[in-house]
Amino acid sequence: MTAQKEYAKDYKGIDLLAVAAAREVNDGDIVFAGTGLPMLAIMLAQLSGAPNAVCIYEAGSIDGRPIDLPTSVGDSRCAYQASLAAGLTETFYGQLHCGYVDLAFLGGAEIDKYGNVNTTVVGDYAAPQKRFTGSGGNPDINSLAKRTVFIMVQEKRRFKENVDYITSPGWRLPKWPSGEIVPKKEIYGKYYKGGPSAVITNMGVFRFDENGEMYLDTVHPGFTPEQVKENCSFDLNISRCKGETEPPSVQEIELLYTKVDPEGIFLP
Amino acid sequence: MGKPQKISLKEAANLIQDGDFLAFSGFTIWRRPMALIYEMVRQGKKDLHLFEVNGGTHTEVLAGAGAIKMWESCWVGHELYGKLGEGVARGQVEGTILVEDYSHGQMVARLLAGAYGLPFFPTALSMGTDILNPKFDMLGKAGLRDGSNPKIPLKKYDTIKDPMYDMGEILLMPAANPDWALVYASQVGDEGTVRVFSQTYVDPEVIKAADKVIVLAEEIVPDSYLRQEPEKNIATGYAIDYVVEIPWGAHPTGSQFFYDVDADFIRQFYAASKSKEGFDKWAQEWIFGVSSHEEYLEKLGVNRLNKLKANSVVGYSTTVRRGTR
Repeated sequence: MTAQKEYAKDYKGIDLLAVAAAREVNDGDIVFAGTGLPMLAIMLAQLSGAPNAVCIYEAGSIDGRPIDLPTSVGDSRCAYQASLAAGLTETFYGQLHCGYVDLAFLGGAEIDKYGNVNTTVVGDYAAPQKRFTGSGGNPDINSLAKRTVFIMVQEKRRFKENVDYITSPGWRLPKWPSGEIVPKKEIYGKYYKGGPSAVITNMGVFRFDENGEMYLDTVHPGFTPEQVKENCSFDLNISRCKGETEPPSVQEIELLYTKVDPEGIFLP
Repeated sequence: MGKPQKISLKEAANLIQDGDFLAFSGFTIWRRPMALIYEMVRQGKKDLHLFEVNGGTHTEVLAGAGAIKMWESCWVGHELYGKLGEGVARGQVEGTILVEDYSHGQMVARLLAGAYGLPFFPTALSMGTDILNPKFDMLGKAGLRDGSNPKIPLKKYDTIKDPMYDMGEILLMPAANPDWALVYASQVGDEGTVRVFSQTYVDPEVIKAADKVIVLAEEIVPDSYLRQEPEKNIATGYAIDYVVEIPWGAHPTGSQFFYDVDADFIRQFYAASKSKEGFDKWAQEWIFGVSSHEEYLEKLGVNRLNKLKANSVVGYSTTVRRGTR
């Protein structure tokens, strides 16, 4: 990145989300990504700051080099020029469980301040008011990736004191059968590799402190830290906010619309 | 054992009994045995017990038709073309479908145990989640873990303190051995050797785990052809009981190197699936309104199918419109 970097003047919220997520990828990272914005983020990262990053999609493609944007992780496009077109035994056990995965890109419907995510139900699981899609691979990938980045919509009802159902493990978790809440490390023991490192929404970028509690790291241009706090049900720590999120560059927007998603699949 | 028997789609559906325990090939909206699912609905199958690493459009067709009694899985939806699994969700909320949630990695563990003839498989995936909350053992709460159904394990899961390398506590996931694997595959040899193109998902494990296997083949080809490159095959002929040759048998889900996902079809199905009335109307048109797979294809029309046809080099359609540009 040069000092003369030119920032885009005209961009959409979703563009910033994709760009901010792409910047979480370190060159050489082995990245496990879900459907949607995670795909834009990893592909943009590979075209910009992290050309040596590798992408694994849970349905079985490993280090694919798609020339067309996939619409789901099972898409044949994911496997184009892949080093392996395998299956879930390989991705979940041969790659994830054995410890290759550096970074996970995931989504969620609800999150709490410890990064516990719900993608299963609204209300009591035994008599739910509404069902979402369910866990999928979200909790598995988040269990054993070294870092996880969640990409979510910022709404008061989604940023909750307690999520209705812990689908995906954050930094403080129930230890069953007693249900006592303990740090993730205590449950995962020698399997422990890390956990949620960032949450990126349409309003800001959040990270987690020494106690595993979420704080606002940067606020997106056009919003204030107070506005972000108002869109959280828990008492969000905004005291560590460093300032504004770096806007997308002209080059990043160009790549997103001409190379990553020229067909307008996720970027309308 | 021996070579699989070639049968018709109607005969295949006829083999499935009400209450049977089923697993499927594919992943969400890819390589699902859709033609067989439609025929099962036409034949009025009910009380089915599904075991699937994830659900998709096929699950939702069965759910809409009221054919599912138990669903052991972790995810259902239509990816980009339909956010939720409305039929399963309605069944869970109304209490007509008994839902037991795991995670992908845990469901894979259960299949691996079933496929390899083991009683359970260890995993450290998704520990510390509500999946393991004893209050949410739904089959247990329904009194189904008493051993009377040999396909339902006595426990949802167990834990063990690693006795070998002192790695601490780890989960044990019970084996799953469904009555049937209902599989759609790219090519099946005339002696039953099975090949799928591109990602294998959990197709090899589903085939091995099930007691009996029906494969819908996009093409039946000489076994001698598949044996030229045995490393590309996923199952032996003696693991397969029945084969149905049925081009476009996975539509509207996709089949790598044959056809793409029919996004518009799934979007319309998803919209219809949001209510019982909507589903019934849709089923009247696309399931009960046609008497066979051939009539279904005729209704779709050659131009629609041509758009979906995969480019033979890249393996997916390069002409279908997918986005807004």
